[in-house]
Amino acid sequence: MACLAAATAGAGDMYVSAALGDASYLNPVLASDSASGTVNDLVFNGLVKYDKDIRLTGDLAESWDVSDGGLVITFHLRKNVRWHDGKPFTAEDVRFTYERLIDPKVKTPYGSDYELVKSFAVVNPYTVRITYRQKFAPALESWGMGILPKHVFSQGDFNEHPANRKPVGTGPYRFKEWKTDEKIVLDANPDYFLGKPKIERCVFRIIPDQAVQFLELRNESIDDMSLTPDQWKAYPEFFRSYNKFRYPAFMYTYLAFNLKNPLFADKRMRKAIAFAIDKKDIIGGVLLGMGKAATGPFPAQSWAYNPDVKDYEYDTTRAKALIEECGWQLNAKDGYFYKDGKRLEFTILTNQGNKMRSLSAEIIQSQLRRAGIKVNIRIVEWSSFIHQFVNKKNFDAIILGWTVGRDPDQYSIWHSGQQDEGQYNFISYNNPAVDRLLEEGRGTFDQAKRTSIYHRLHRIIFDDVPYVFLYYPESLPVIHKRFRGPEIAPLGVGWNFHDWWVPPAEQKYRLAE
Amino acid sequence: MIKLYFGRFTKNKLAFGGALLLAALTLCALAAPLVAPYEPAQQDLTHRLMPPSAAHLLGTDDLGRDVFSRLVYGIRISLTVGFVAVGIATIIGTLLGIVSGYFGGIVDVIIMRAVDIMLCFPTFFLILLVIAFLEPGIYNVMIVIGLTSWPGLTRLVRAETLSLRHREFVQAAELLGLSRRRIFLVHILPNVISPVIVSATLGIADAILTESGLSFLGLGVQPPGSSWGQMLTAGKDYIYVAWWLSVFPGIAILFTALSFNLLGEGLRDTLHSRQ
Repeated sequence: MACLAAATAGAGDMYVSAALGDASYLNPVLASDSASGTVNDLVFNGLVKYDKDIRLTGDLAESWDVSDGGLVITFHLRKNVRWHDGKPFTAEDVRFTYERLIDPKVKTPYGSDYELVKSFAVVNPYTVRITYRQKFAPALESWGMGILPKHVFSQGDFNEHPANRKPVGTGPYRFKEWKTDEKIVLDANPDYFLGKPKIERCVFRIIPDQAVQFLELRNESIDDMSLTPDQWKAYPEFFRSYNKFRYPAFMYTYLAFNLKNPLFADKRMRKAIAFAIDKKDIIGGVLLGMGKAATGPFPAQSWAYNPDVKDYEYDTTRAKALIEECGWQLNAKDGYFYKDGKRLEFTILTNQGNKMRSLSAEIIQSQLRRAGIKVNIRIVEWSSFIHQFVNKKNFDAIILGWTVGRDPDQYSIWHSGQQDEGQYNFISYNNPAVDRLLEEGRGTFDQAKRTSIYHRLHRIIFDDVPYVFLYYPESLPVIHKRFRGPEIAPLGVGWNFHDWWVPPAEQKYRLAE
Repeated sequence: MIKLYFGRFTKNKLAFGGALLLAALTLCALAAPLVAPYEPAQQDLTHRLMPPSAAHLLGTDDLGRDVFSRLVYGIRISLTVGFVAVGIATIIGTLLGIVSGYFGGIVDVIIMRAVDIMLCFPTFFLILLVIAFLEPGIYNVMIVIGLTSWPGLTRLVRAETLSLRHREFVQAAELLGLSRRRIFLVHILPNVISPVIVSATLGIADAILTESGLSFLGLGVQPPGSSWGQMLTAGKDYIYVAWWLSVFPGIAILFTALSFNLLGEGLRDTLHSRQ
């Protein structure tokens, strides 16, 4: 029995994190849920990554050259990187990962990011050259995808490969064990190319309820958690042992209309609803001021955000006037609008487990009541919400949120060609002007030009009201005080996890072999 | 006769207490708009999560709604669910029980096997399954609880009917050539009614608990309706910030279910000692 603790100053201890759901695949090509993503980020590396100021920097690639007007990217890979099983990492692994991403048999949601690749060439074991058919601005970002080891996947079905539950990567942490619906354990990788991380072990416990997580936090049996605004503002002694952080998230929450529904076909009706919603109530009452009113699909800290777009002022009278223009008549008796004997009524659908969304729905319900619109609310469990309602376009209106990439390309959300089942334009939005701007935006490299394209896009989508953009929420994490190193950067709070450490006197766990 | 029962019943203090509490609850439900100081769905976002005070007797919830008013309107839902669901179950259960016990033979075999099958399912999961296919909502909940909770009663009524069938008065009625309907309604039903009443009273408590459970899981009453189970779900997220959100609906469910149970037990003691 040897103690691993305190070999070097500050090394040792364990970081216990909580996830609301179990991971699906510990394979970055297949996983699309955040629980898997958090673990995969520690086990795998991409060719590039974002630094704390959201600039792309090398990860497995030491450097890269862009040539031929942006059509060719050449990556120079790091030498002496080893997989967790000791085999060397080479360009063949990158090629293998690329081939899986474009393989139609592989169940990956990321294939469309690589459709424009014309050819992929391994120049030598440490150089790859990628040629694009046309200019593709998010190209570099797309190579942040975790690279998989070719030798591990050489045999067997990729989708169901055992390595998807026992991953082998190049990252700062090595996989140790995964107990379904209980926990995932990772150990520090002593051979990591940036040096062994100081925190010896990471445990991800699966605790599927925010209230239970909060209890665990009180007992100090978990070291971090994403709080709701109410929890964040709970009594201060609760957080004696924790540091609280607060920063804007790359995310927006919205009320989306099913444009196939005749009720929402008329833009005036959508505008009327936008006028009838008072976002101040939602931000004050649900977010407790920890968020901002949203005006479009880009968060306020993004360069694509157009600050000149002024939000719809809450105005019930104006909303009612617009509804009347659409041919509805207010019934003085019950205060609702009617047309041909039918009441103006629709159902807002949202998912279970997100308190912010269901409370927003209830506030909107009572606000639209004042504008003569009857709203029903239905709250559905997540997987049936996505599979039976959203993907099948079987809804009137939904409240949902998008976590968006740092690159403002939202082709998959707004382009009229993305309306198939399971694709992201589930509201059937079709606007040729928007399509053109989206195509231009992803095909332009010049930053000033792109900025003006996305500012125009922001304005058009705002005017068209396919969504009522509700709010940009803030991330509200807490992290145990014994950890030194967490700091807020534009990228968030966990960007330098590799450098976190605990002074030996404060270390809580000792790992015995 | 009724006086005798009543006298016996009032001596049973627990049962009588239960009955009084239920009477009070029923009154509250009927006069909810008078009892509740606020509209149950009225939001006041400037006064959210206020602890119990003079203005808000039991505090306010996460949208600033008055917890007491929502509890009072919640009685309506709980009692309606209890009575309607048990009404459905009682009608089906009694009818099938009498038919099964009286006719015997193949009819009895079919009905009893159906009962066995129904009893094999864990009812709560059967209900979950059905609700998942239908739209969640209070009417579906009532109907589904009703349609799944008759088998126990069917067995009970069948056993009673079996013994009644061979009694002289039933055989005499048969010999006199009375119609089946008359025999069922006049000779058998009044004699099986007391266990039915007891079982129904206990069943109401179960139905209320089931509804709370379903609403707790988000499959019952949809917002802005107020059901106790749903209030409990909403409250658990704030258990450390606002204890009153989960404690009061919990107490309400506990006492209502308890009163129905006490009443049911009391009725059983009272009616049973008839022989």
